[in-house]
Amino acid sequence: MTVALLVNGRPYERSVESRRLLVDFLRHELQLHGTHVGCEQGVCGACTVLLDGEPVKSCLMLAPQAHGHSITTVEGLAGRGELHPVQQAFRDAHALQCGYCTPGFLLGAVALADRGVALEGAALREELAGNLCRCTGYQNIVEAVERYLRQAAAGRRDG
Amino acid sequence: MKPAPLEYLTALTVEEALAALARFDGNVRLLAGGQSLVPLLSMRLLRPMAVVDINRIPGLDRIVAADGVVRVGALARYSALEASPVIRERVPLLAKAIPFVGDRQIRNRGTLGGALCHADPAGEMALCAVTLGARLRIVGHSGLRELDAEAFFQGPYTTALEPNEMLETVEFPDGAGTEAVVVEHARRHGDFAVVSVAATGLRAPDGSWRWMRIGLGAVADRARYARRASEGLAGTRLQPADVTAAAARCLEEAGPTSDVRASAEYRRHLVPILVERALEDLARRR
Repeated sequence: MTVALLVNGRPYERSVESRRLLVDFLRHELQLHGTHVGCEQGVCGACTVLLDGEPVKSCLMLAPQAHGHSITTVEGLAGRGELHPVQQAFRDAHALQCGYCTPGFLLGAVALADRGVALEGAALREELAGNLCRCTGYQNIVEAVERYLRQAAAGRRDG
Repeated sequence: MKPAPLEYLTALTVEEALAALARFDGNVRLLAGGQSLVPLLSMRLLRPMAVVDINRIPGLDRIVAADGVVRVGALARYSALEASPVIRERVPLLAKAIPFVGDRQIRNRGTLGGALCHADPAGEMALCAVTLGARLRIVGHSGLRELDAEAFFQGPYTTALEPNEMLETVEFPDGAGTEAVVVEHARRHGDFAVVSVAATGLRAPDGSWRWMRIGLGAVADRARYARRASEGLAGTRLQPADVTAAAARCLEEAGPTSDVRASAEYRRHLVPILVERALEDLARRR
């Protein structure tokens, strides 16, 4: 069946089997390999994308469900050769090692900033609990997201 | 891990959804949030001929307080319930339970109706529905029928829904002014409950409790309303002796089994402890 949707602001239309998972659609049909496949059962959060601005797990949706919707993947974050502020914050805080879980965390953080919430500590950890990382021990990830959310909030005040 | 071939249909109205269900004669699933259904498809524990996507039916996610009840559409998502002032003020037990469900991404997609129809014995939504005595509005070809939550759940992952029926609305009693608490033990943060306890009641101006309702999750083949324990607390002040007696009654009303998460013995150990914690929490409130 035909799926037409926006990904990172760009329209795509592809014919797919209706059993196609959204994450596989993004990777195989659109060649957007930044969205990672981890557990394939909705536990690890590596496949997190934004669906109309809200973080969802793309292994828990069939591609046809995204028809007519807007998806943001990690490829939609950085501008031309320039890191997105959330990516810069992860770099500055040493918030990644192998990088496999990183795209999911980045998109979750962007959604928090878009909602205008400057969370920290336990409340922030609760919001990020749908993403698992096996390398970092989370300390630096939380630190990076706190920094990014503070920056984003300051940006809103100034701008 | 990919779903087996299936047909994908989109329903734009409840009538279209019912017609699609009838077409596949039971070998079909409604797709709401999909947070339990899609993994079951991927693991091929379910291989329906078709799924019917009901996410595009307008108005099926409404949350409305009227006539002494709060009506919640089957498609209302956890995140919407979490953000709803109506739920916070009038169905406080549900508001307390939602943080125990999944994580942010799951709550952005998962729906109340989907959780009830999935009927996981450890599910928090089923626990709230039986604890609150919710009424479920079910639509089918022969029209509309209503069922009490306790009659809806028939066993693990089993409900009273006929193959050609669909859950449309969940009706909670308006609980404005009630107190509520959910206590849960899980192996990991956000994991399925080993035992969960819900308690909600209304306090009289003199400090006694007009009524109290206690529900037990993951201790039987379905969520259970602890009737005798609850009725025994009406008119009390939740003094330590009342709490101990209710906890003992809850244990009598629980019938836990062993599974991958915990042994029956461990669950029996937990039931009175968690009931006491829940009731002590309520007793401390001013």
